Amino acid sequence: MRPTTVVAAACLAPLALTLAACSSGTSGGAATAGGTSITVAASDDTNIQDLFQKVLIPDFEKKYPGTSVKLVFDLHGTNDQANYAKLAAATAQNRAPAMDVTASSVPKAAAAGLLATDTSKVTNLATVDQKVLAAGGPGAVPYRASSVLLAYNPAKVSNPPKTLVELLAWIKANPGRFTYNSPKTGGSGGAFVTTVLDSNVPAADRDTMTTGYDKALEKDWDPGWATLAGLNPYVFQKGVYPNGNNQTLQLLSSGQIDMAPVWSDQFISGKAAGTIPATMMAQQITDPSFTGGASYLGVTKASKNQDLAWKFIDFVLQPEEQAKVADKIAGYPAIALDKLPAATQAKFAGADTQNLRPGYNSDHATDINNLWDQNVPGK
Amino acid sequence: MKPSRRHRLGGLALASPPLILVAVFVGFPILVALAYSLGQVGGLNSTIGTIATEQSTVDAWYKVTFGAYRTVFADPRFQRDLVVTVLVTLATTVIVVVLAWGIALYVRLSDSWVAKILSALAVVPMFIPVVIASWAILTFYAADGFLRSIAAHVGIEAPIWGYTITAVVIGLVWTNLPFATLMVVSGVQGVPDALIEAARDAGASIPRTVVSIIAPMALVPTVIAGTFTAIGTLGAFTVPYFTGPNAPKMLGVDLADYFQSFNLPQSSVVMAIVIFIVASGFGGVYVWANYRSAASSGRV
Amino acid sequence: MTSLPTLPATTTPTTSDTTAPSTAALPRTAGRGRGPARLVGPVLSVAFVIVLGLFVLGPLLWLGVRAFATNWTYPNLMPDGWTLQWWNTVFQDPNLQSSVVLSFQFAFVTMVVSAVLCLPAAYAFSRFDFPGRRVFLIGLFATNAFPRMGLFVALASLFYAFNLMSTFLGVVIVHVLGTVVFMTWIPAAAFSAVPRSYEEAARDAGAGRFTVLRKVTLPLAMPGITVALIMSFLASFDEAQGTYLVGNPEYITMPTQMYSLVLNYPPQVAAVFSILLAIPSAVLLLLVRKHVMGGQLAEGFQIR
Repeated sequence: MRPTTVVAAACLAPLALTLAACSSGTSGGAATAGGTSITVAASDDTNIQDLFQKVLIPDFEKKYPGTSVKLVFDLHGTNDQANYAKLAAATAQNRAPAMDVTASSVPKAAAAGLLATDTSKVTNLATVDQKVLAAGGPGAVPYRASSVLLAYNPAKVSNPPKTLVELLAWIKANPGRFTYNSPKTGGSGGAFVTTVLDSNVPAADRDTMTTGYDKALEKDWDPGWATLAGLNPYVFQKGVYPNGNNQTLQLLSSGQIDMAPVWSDQFISGKAAGTIPATMMAQQITDPSFTGGASYLGVTKASKNQDLAWKFIDFVLQPEEQAKVADKIAGYPAIALDKLPAATQAKFAGADTQNLRPGYNSDHATDINNLWDQNVPGK
Repeated sequence: MKPSRRHRLGGLALASPPLILVAVFVGFPILVALAYSLGQVGGLNSTIGTIATEQSTVDAWYKVTFGAYRTVFADPRFQRDLVVTVLVTLATTVIVVVLAWGIALYVRLSDSWVAKILSALAVVPMFIPVVIASWAILTFYAADGFLRSIAAHVGIEAPIWGYTITAVVIGLVWTNLPFATLMVVSGVQGVPDALIEAARDAGASIPRTVVSIIAPMALVPTVIAGTFTAIGTLGAFTVPYFTGPNAPKMLGVDLADYFQSFNLPQSSVVMAIVIFIVASGFGGVYVWANYRSAASSGRV
Repeated sequence: MTSLPTLPATTTPTTSDTTAPSTAALPRTAGRGRGPARLVGPVLSVAFVIVLGLFVLGPLLWLGVRAFATNWTYPNLMPDGWTLQWWNTVFQDPNLQSSVVLSFQFAFVTMVVSAVLCLPAAYAFSRFDFPGRRVFLIGLFATNAFPRMGLFVALASLFYAFNLMSTFLGVVIVHVLGTVVFMTWIPAAAFSAVPRSYEEAARDAGAGRFTVLRKVTLPLAMPGITVALIMSFLASFDEAQGTYLVGNPEYITMPTQMYSLVLNYPPQVAAVFSILLAIPSAVLLLLVRKHVMGGQLAEGFQIR
């Protein structure tokens, strides 16, 4: 063979390969023809992954034979920004996005008009709290709620703090026995940070920052940052903030710390599964309380499969599935409690499951991630 | 042999596929990112530009702004992390090169079982994915890890290295050791026995032989090992992410945080470019060393 | 290597185009038996081995034991009890199997694509003297100097525009980018180490250019090529961050899962996963261990 032929063949081979790969690559999108399969994207901790993977999706596929639901899951939501960017790009170009139903960054997507808004297709919406529904924005449907609690080891803590002031005093009196995860890695640490910040934010400013974005108001946080930085010498290993809700729980479970903010749902289901010792206790603090709130689902506006997507959301809001949300992950149901079986109702006796102190607007929450990183560790 | 013109063009054509790939998917994106860091939010940067917050932008293609660079460099967190990143890089590189040399000399001057075990041990980390290595190292040096456990048994309170810069350096040394060892061992092995024999016969001590005969001849592989270690360490993400403290952080972790958690992609890109510039400095040493060796053996 | 002893002391004994391969593994008879006893005492030698062994293997063993542990109380040196339940947890995870299969698919495709693109180039870098040869070689190296995370951030814009986000091809491109340097450099060094005189002899015997390549050059360069192939396979097999940014949510490979597993499951589950993920790497590298240690890898990183 002459050299030129070799060269030509060598150059053409990769080209052909690339073309072949291209043609097979385009079928990788979420929207498949026929409208019998949808993709659900969610981001949270493993308990939520199990909720979708092992309860909601199998139940849905059983009830509607021939349909298939695919879950794509981002633990911790560390890549929420990137995934949100992909959704925004797909919507702008009117391409089918990677997911039909999304459970992450929903209020943000709703505010940006990335969601389909015909929630009338969800018949089970009737008993959902109107305030919670409105807080999500156009198209966002609440499907569960949870709040952050203060968990402690009763063997070491006989008289747990009841208020934020008492908690801060306890941390300083017991060096190395408390920590919370960095806000960017999980909501339980985020709620602790938010609550400390809130103790110095005027109510009117807080309301503005809950629903909208006003960077100028973030100066209200300054005293809070100073308080948090002041805790550094007293938290675990003189300033170690773990990555994620679960790492905090592991530290608590293994006895390396005695107290930490935790998600109600993770704590209750962890105790049930045995990964958290049954002796551990948790309670809410007051003045202010730890934040909590609803989690939302939404149908992406550019989805080519909206009918089935709405059907899925409606299904999740059925009393039977809501009861499973309560049982499986100890999540507060999104629909009115009296629609649920009596046994499930009893579980939440005394808890105001639909009236939780909300966190900040998502842009402010992003700023909290950043400012915490800037102002707290190593200061 | 003087190659014909067609021959030379044929060579270029054969060599072109990876060059084109790298130009399109590395060179071009870096240029686009550079433009973004200088304030260009049109064209390919429009998607990222609409989502990001707090950007410095310009309104025409021929304008540039250094606003993003000013913001990043004015941030005390960045200054702190840049210093830490460079220090960690230098520490890691020095430790890795020293260890590699120790092993290489042992292997060169002895072929006992000790030498065989040492060279085999040093290559083990190459077999282990970095994610696992980082996590293994964290648990080993953690508050309830092996080091503290064994110290507690003999009644000593050992330091906690989990989530500290020490753990980051340990992890980076661990992951970079195999490549550096292979390079240096190969270089030291290449020193002809005749030269060492001659020096020894002339009465030179072993340290003297190492310094004046072996070291100069293994200089280039050492520089290569050092450069690759330094460049890999500068942009490291996985090891510091898993084993390091919340603050100070290495820039590789900052880069990811700014992009993913803080929604400040422009700052993230600025940091990437800063790391690239520092890495290019190390890369320059590498190119120089190779060129020097090529020149002295008459291959240029 | 006849010319070596006459080299000035400041040069390195690198292979030139006419020398045989495996310089690094050159037998060294004369230096044998001298030194170690006098250089460092036997006690120090053993101490060095123990410290290095603990440093390298300690963390792996500490993690490995955890995969079979029920619980572990500080400061005990052994777990409280033994169990296989964590292996069950992992094998029952529905995502595991698909991510394993996907990891192997990507690794194989990456290896093949990278070989097809880069091996001819490696040959060209070794055998042709075209304009800009050295600049291009260093240019390929520059792909290593830009931080990976930064590159993925920069790539994102381009991938949106080309519609490569969440596609198989997009992930393959990211993986191939990570292999270009050694898939070009190591085989190029291997080709260079094949003596020209062998090829010329075959030519004189009447063999065509392609036959010479197939019958003489390729077989002699094979150890270097094999090392490069396996390194590419493993680079793809271990790549996590880029796969996540580009492949999510369609393509979740094993290392990508590992990132979140480590932080979210009991430590024992992550230990099980670690063992599973390390097996393919260890097996493949053991296969080429001789060549890697023998200097094929080291040779590849010296530009000439």
